[in-house]
Amino acid sequence: MSDRHRNAWAWRGEGLRSAVEVLARYPGRSALTVLGLAIGVAAFISMVSFGEGARRSVLAQFQSLGTNLLVVGPWMAERQARDQPAQPLGALDVATLGRESTTLAEIAPVIRMDQDLERAGVHHWLRVQATTPAFVRLHDWPLAAGGMFDEDEVARRAKVCVLGATPARALFGFGDPLGGGVTMGGVVLCRVVGVLETKGYSAGGDDLDDLLLMPVTTFESYWGTPEGYSRIELEPLRPGLMEAAKSEVTEILARLHRINEGEENDFRVTSPLEVIRAVERTSAVLTGLLRGIAAVSLLVGGIGIMNIQLVSVAERTREIGVRAAIGASPTQILTQFLWEALALTLVGAAAGVLLGLAIAAVTADVMQWPRVISGRGIAGAVVFALAVGLVFGFLPARRAAALDPIEALRHE
Amino acid sequence: MAPGSTLEPASPRGARPLVIDARGLRKSYWLGKSAVEVLAGVNLTVGAGEVVALRGPSGSGKSTLLNVLGCLDRPSGGRYLLDGCDVSALSRAAQAWVRLHMIGFVFQSFNLIARATALENVALPLFYAGVARPAREAVARDLLARVGLADRARHLPAQLSGGQCQRVAIARALSVHPKLVLADEPTGALDSRSGGEVLELLLDLQRREGLTLIIVTHDAAVAARTDRQVHLLDGRIVDPEVRAA
Repeated sequence: MSDRHRNAWAWRGEGLRSAVEVLARYPGRSALTVLGLAIGVAAFISMVSFGEGARRSVLAQFQSLGTNLLVVGPWMAERQARDQPAQPLGALDVATLGRESTTLAEIAPVIRMDQDLERAGVHHWLRVQATTPAFVRLHDWPLAAGGMFDEDEVARRAKVCVLGATPARALFGFGDPLGGGVTMGGVVLCRVVGVLETKGYSAGGDDLDDLLLMPVTTFESYWGTPEGYSRIELEPLRPGLMEAAKSEVTEILARLHRINEGEENDFRVTSPLEVIRAVERTSAVLTGLLRGIAAVSLLVGGIGIMNIQLVSVAERTREIGVRAAIGASPTQILTQFLWEALALTLVGAAAGVLLGLAIAAVTADVMQWPRVISGRGIAGAVVFALAVGLVFGFLPARRAAALDPIEALRHE
Repeated sequence: MAPGSTLEPASPRGARPLVIDARGLRKSYWLGKSAVEVLAGVNLTVGAGEVVALRGPSGSGKSTLLNVLGCLDRPSGGRYLLDGCDVSALSRAAQAWVRLHMIGFVFQSFNLIARATALENVALPLFYAGVARPAREAVARDLLARVGLADRARHLPAQLSGGQCQRVAIARALSVHPKLVLADEPTGALDSRSGGEVLELLLDLQRREGLTLIIVTHDAAVAARTDRQVHLLDGRIVDPEVRAA
């Protein structure tokens, strides 16, 4: 009994070994055949990695904003298109929200603008965020040196600013930026009152330290705010109040903006959490689509294997006849051709895994996504490829096994 | 009375068990709507250790009879006992088992696997019998030595002469200790000298191993070296010439 089992196992090993030997005798043809499958596996793996990498990158960007956050942004185009009055977000909105809301802990208006920053002839182009002290509390951004400008400085329209780590390094080198002066947009000389602690890069590769904070009022005196605030950022008292805060803010602003019942608002309240969920849904669809494409290329690869195995059976008809005549059973002949298909598939899958990982790594680097190596993606691709190899290898193998040995022996 | 139907004398081989005991073997094919009867009731008994020459003009049914005797084909009628077992109506898988364990084939055109070495060719039936590689290579090496090709084990068929190829084929046929060896024109593709050598080798191995051997041949000189000649004509055995072993 155990002897029979050992022999059966030995035979299985021999099956794969002889299959590999056969394939090695036609290296060119074998290589071309597995190419399709390798591309399929590579596509599968790299696409799964793309999808996952893109998803994580987008998620990380939103997560870096904080999740206990509501953002009010202008949304005027819709109303303007219908000739309905629309008004930008302004100081009145912030004041009203501060006075009337019962669910908000922090309210911070933000105006964003890219500006030139200059000190002693050195220029640095960065993103200016004009806001109030609530902004750093809302984002939990600690300061490395000095402090955030205060409400009094906002009220006085003081010419002060807080630098991110990147402009601090670019303009001051190893010197102390505190108390130093930087010229913004060639017109405002601001005194540096604080430097933010470094936050590094986002998953998307953005420099999170390349920014400058200044009082929103100071900004308005020099550049005005014809389009209003870029956004108003809000923090609910508790994360659980997110939905309540959202409806309250919507209600207050709609009343303030005199939006009639049933009309489109000229602002929009969103939370990063919703965006993250939406992105997750979209990327699930996208990843599914990519998987589908990869599955199709695997199927095409499988058809390639079936094709070459049919050719092989036709070419080796006489050999099959000889094997049958000397006593190979139909099952053994079937198994031999299945092993050959499987060996082709294994080689193709292995090549595809390497290729796919390489493509995924290069793409991730180029797109500045995190490198995601999905073990499940690899396993899925390989298992699917093997299944494809077996399914498509079966028809040629069955044809070989069904050959009449007498006819096959006569075949030239 | 049909010639050859009941004229099989049992006496010379009476003491020996029968390896082949075929009664009324028929085989017909359909060509369009008409049936062509290739074997029209063949009776043949061959005792263990006997050497029989199967002769007859082409179209007489030699190949078909050989296919039936070799379990490559099933008779349409009649009964075929191989070593006492009825193998007339076996499944394909069972036929393969019988070929593997009980029958050795030697073909006119050698039919070696071109991509396999002499050693691998000889070991191939053992591979299908599930013998592990070291054991079957040892057996194959021994057999190659006995057919005088010990130094050609790693050669491919293309690197061997016709006579050497047929020796490899003979070694392959013997690798699983068959009850019956069927040789179809074993010297037909060889020149007379190597053909003679191959025949001597085959007969020598037959004597040493006590093989039961059926040789299909046109060559009277080959037939003359056998114990008995069986002539086939139009699917029937005619005028059996009996020679005592």
